[in-house]
Amino acid sequence: MTTRHPDSSVLDTGGTRPAAATRHTDDATWTTQRPALRARKTAAGRRRRMWNALAVVLALIWAFPVYWMVNSSFLPFNRIRNPDPTFIPLGGTLSAYERVFDSDFLASLRTSLMVTLITVAAALLFAFLAALALSRFRFRGRRTFVLAVLVIQMIPAEGLFISQFKLLEGWQLLNSVVGLSLLYIAAVVPFTIWMLRGFVAGVPRDLEEAALVDGCSRAQAFFRITFPLLAPGLVASGVYAFLQAWNEFTLALVIMTRPENMTLPLWLRTFTDANRASDWAGIMAGSALIAIPVIVFFLFVQNRMTSGLVSGAVKG
Amino acid sequence: MRTTRILLTGLATAALALSACGGDDGGDTDSTDEAQAAAGDDTSGDDGEDAQAPEPAEIRLWLNGGDTPDTMRDWLIEAFEEQNPGSTLVIEEQQWEGLVDRLTTSLGSASETPDVVEIGNTQAPTFTTVGAFSDLTDMLGDLGGDDLLQGFVDAGSVDGQTYAVPLYAGSKYVFYRKDLFAESGLEVPATMEEFVDAAVTLKQDNDDMQNFSGFWFPGQDWRNGVTFLWDSGGELAVQEGDEWHGALSTPESIEGLERAQQLFTEASGAPKDGNEADPQVPFCAGEVGMLSAPGWVRWSIDNEEIGCPEMMENVGVFAMPGSDGEPAPVLLGGSNIAISANSQNQELARSLVELILSDDFQAQYAENGLTPAKMSLADGLGDDEFATASIEAVTNAKLTPAAANWAVVEGSRVLEDLFVAIANGGDVEQLAADADASITEQLD
Amino acid sequence: MTPPVTVHGGRREDPGPSTAARRRTASRRKGRRSGRRTMPYVLLVPALAVLLAALGYPLFRQAVMSFQEYGLAQQFGQPPEWVGVDNYTRLLSDSYLWTVIARSIAFCLLVAATTMVIGTALAVLMTVVSRGVRLALQISLLLAWAMPHLASLTVWQWLFDAQYGIVNWLLTSIGLDGFAGHSWLIEPLSFFIVAGVVVVWMSVPFVAFAVYAGLMQVPVELEEAAAIDGASARARFRLITVPLVKPVLLIVGLLQIIWDLKVFTQIFVLQDAGGVTRETNLIGTYIYRLGLGEGQFGLAAAASWFVLLITVGLSLYYVRVLIRDDEELTR
Repeated sequence: MTTRHPDSSVLDTGGTRPAAATRHTDDATWTTQRPALRARKTAAGRRRRMWNALAVVLALIWAFPVYWMVNSSFLPFNRIRNPDPTFIPLGGTLSAYERVFDSDFLASLRTSLMVTLITVAAALLFAFLAALALSRFRFRGRRTFVLAVLVIQMIPAEGLFISQFKLLEGWQLLNSVVGLSLLYIAAVVPFTIWMLRGFVAGVPRDLEEAALVDGCSRAQAFFRITFPLLAPGLVASGVYAFLQAWNEFTLALVIMTRPENMTLPLWLRTFTDANRASDWAGIMAGSALIAIPVIVFFLFVQNRMTSGLVSGAVKG
Repeated sequence: MRTTRILLTGLATAALALSACGGDDGGDTDSTDEAQAAAGDDTSGDDGEDAQAPEPAEIRLWLNGGDTPDTMRDWLIEAFEEQNPGSTLVIEEQQWEGLVDRLTTSLGSASETPDVVEIGNTQAPTFTTVGAFSDLTDMLGDLGGDDLLQGFVDAGSVDGQTYAVPLYAGSKYVFYRKDLFAESGLEVPATMEEFVDAAVTLKQDNDDMQNFSGFWFPGQDWRNGVTFLWDSGGELAVQEGDEWHGALSTPESIEGLERAQQLFTEASGAPKDGNEADPQVPFCAGEVGMLSAPGWVRWSIDNEEIGCPEMMENVGVFAMPGSDGEPAPVLLGGSNIAISANSQNQELARSLVELILSDDFQAQYAENGLTPAKMSLADGLGDDEFATASIEAVTNAKLTPAAANWAVVEGSRVLEDLFVAIANGGDVEQLAADADASITEQLD
Repeated sequence: MTPPVTVHGGRREDPGPSTAARRRTASRRKGRRSGRRTMPYVLLVPALAVLLAALGYPLFRQAVMSFQEYGLAQQFGQPPEWVGVDNYTRLLSDSYLWTVIARSIAFCLLVAATTMVIGTALAVLMTVVSRGVRLALQISLLLAWAMPHLASLTVWQWLFDAQYGIVNWLLTSIGLDGFAGHSWLIEPLSFFIVAGVVVVWMSVPFVAFAVYAGLMQVPVELEEAAAIDGASARARFRLITVPLVKPVLLIVGLLQIIWDLKVFTQIFVLQDAGGVTRETNLIGTYIYRLGLGEGQFGLAAAASWFVLLITVGLSLYYVRVLIRDDEELTR
């Protein structure tokens, strides 16, 4: 395959998505399938097992605090904070989850989902268009824009909420999903532009050209060639935008003041009480539930992340 | 189970509030005009004709946390709507965390401001000094006058005008283990000296337990530490003319701080840099002989999921005694209530505040274990051990200095740092002098 | 959408004679050219609009406020007073500030570097493990990333709690009795190690995902060819992978510097749990404790611009490389 013309591998597939076997991550079987490397098979296998083991250990380390959260959500508080810790919630209770579902969880979930999905969709779209402009065109003001986007991310935004509140007040967008989303989009768009810009630039123009020559429409060329190549970048920035909007607290606190407009992080705070004992089991149960949609979202998009560049379509 | 119950009822109220404000958009738009007039839009030359009964509207009341239980909220809504036909009262529960940020933005907005808000007594000066609240001075007499908790009225007043009035108070008293007292042959202490002796004795008698505290006193807990300072005649800060100075290094204050150091080193097994959250945890682990905490800790201990109800039979309480045998001065906690200056419904808001300070409503705070805003209603707390300790503690309770910038001192955590250093056995005089310098600068 | 195909000849900088000639003669082409000239601006409009709408006015106000005495009183209607550079001098005249800045920069660089190394290593690891393991690792990272801060910071506090923490419990149960009741936060160095662990734990997933996405764009063929040519794995990584994921590494690294310099919540929460505030303040908490929590917005605004200045200083090299890299990308 290495000797083929760069374009042919794409055209050979007849416009369908590139064959999985040539991709980097699909079981990374390429080392073992190629005759020249077959001799290394056992050594590679051993190494692979070692890496797998390391990855599992690291996964466990990273997940431990998460496990502890879930553990705590099933335990009465007096067993969480106890000289003798309880590592497995045997004899635990679901009462924290009952309290969570008896509260405004579903309403807050709806608000959060709306805000987050609007943010992700708009941020990805706007940033993609901007990335296209930045990586495919040279124009006056380009450099200024690039620098501005970079510097915007450096400005400490902590004190901005006062002015942002006034802004939305003027537009009568307080307590509205649209208003909050607007602020979130602006917060995540700079990074998303930078991230996608690299990916758009990484898509070889020749590839699209070839597809056009081959008779694809522009839309087809885009969705069959460009889009799959951008997918890892879109997924990574999408997950980033999702989590930023999903877990944001301060702006939501000042913008969404009415109880019916609570986002999930605000709702979670209803389980705390500085003047009394906070309901920690409830907070942990709520947090566990808040994390679930994120995982679902990721499972939907993660396949896209591993569909990397077509083998042979090398830019340089 | 109380915490749980309060939590659930709180959330139920929130749901109720949700349904209540769904269909009242007309009222909102109506009152926008008034708001502009109220906001000082002089150029429009408004006619002042709405002097009679206030126009019906939706009133938003912000209450914080679970201190005002569900039954009281229901009562308030019903009473208010009965008194003001056509108007509705919506109670929106707020969390203490982030409250200042939310008030800072919302109170400044004519369209989004709540009408009446609860605010912590130490936060009150932050907002009363900047014109965020309406002047309530003329109502003070009707609301209870001298009967109101004076410290809270002071906290809500600037230059002789009152902008926030007391809502309820709570103060700390001592929880102790009756069984451990009996084992060590101790009586309930009647003076500060006896109290310290008892704490040290308990620690010595139970020293086989690793983290045992005769008096549980985590290093950051200046809110309890200040009691010893006040008891020996010291102050946190004093006003001379227009200026505030730190007063931690006066001889009286030093005496109190040294007593605190003695308790830290000889009587406490709590972390030297820990905070006072979740006091029921070490208590239920059997590691505490005495601790000083707000009254609600009783419910934490008596809660199956949080505490250790089986221990309740050994729990006794008393107000911490002072050197003179009277109750020691403890830090008073609690809330004020105020009307947003930007509220479009000043009249209705005032009638709501009157209702909140009515004997009928305030008596319910007493029934729920909080000290009501009026001294005359304190009897309503009952006459059991807890009520007695609670009432006694309040009689001699004090507030933090009424300096406008006091919140900055608390925010900078000078006092936490000071007490942690004292707990670690540092040189009290030197530490106090350093802390004074910081405080004087911050109050400037 | 303009097909990228047509872009090649369209550089504004060198309108060669032939281009000019074509422009005169072919009117249809001329139309496309001018379309091409406005196209980038059209593409930028949505992003630009949203940035201007949500940040333009607030940033402008922040700039103005930094020269005003602007506090809560002004928020409630009093006219702000112009004070020139008073807010800045007040900020800079405090000698303690410089201690805090030095501390912050050291913390920021160490934590950002650690995060980048671990994050990148995890991303590379994802490319060499089997599919199931990779998904497990990704989900575990994502869970850590998705855990609400209220929960994660509380759990970390519990883990390192002096008397009831799992960390001390484990250390004591393997015989290290010295750790019974050991406070992890009371010594500043130990405090910052715990804070560093928490911050790294929270930021690594983002780095790992972004870099992994970048790695997914590295053509397999290139590496394969190099492998056949006998290049060692390390050489392949250094010579092929790194240059190709450089744009992602740069921007993610820059973000780490930005975030870790103004780290606030983690320090704030840990200070509440233990330790000595004055010895553990970083820029974020220090500025907050100056009185921003109580609404001294003018000072806050000045502090923001000041922090921006430090950030730019710290990342100047990064920004240069990024911009140069950017120019190359589009050449």
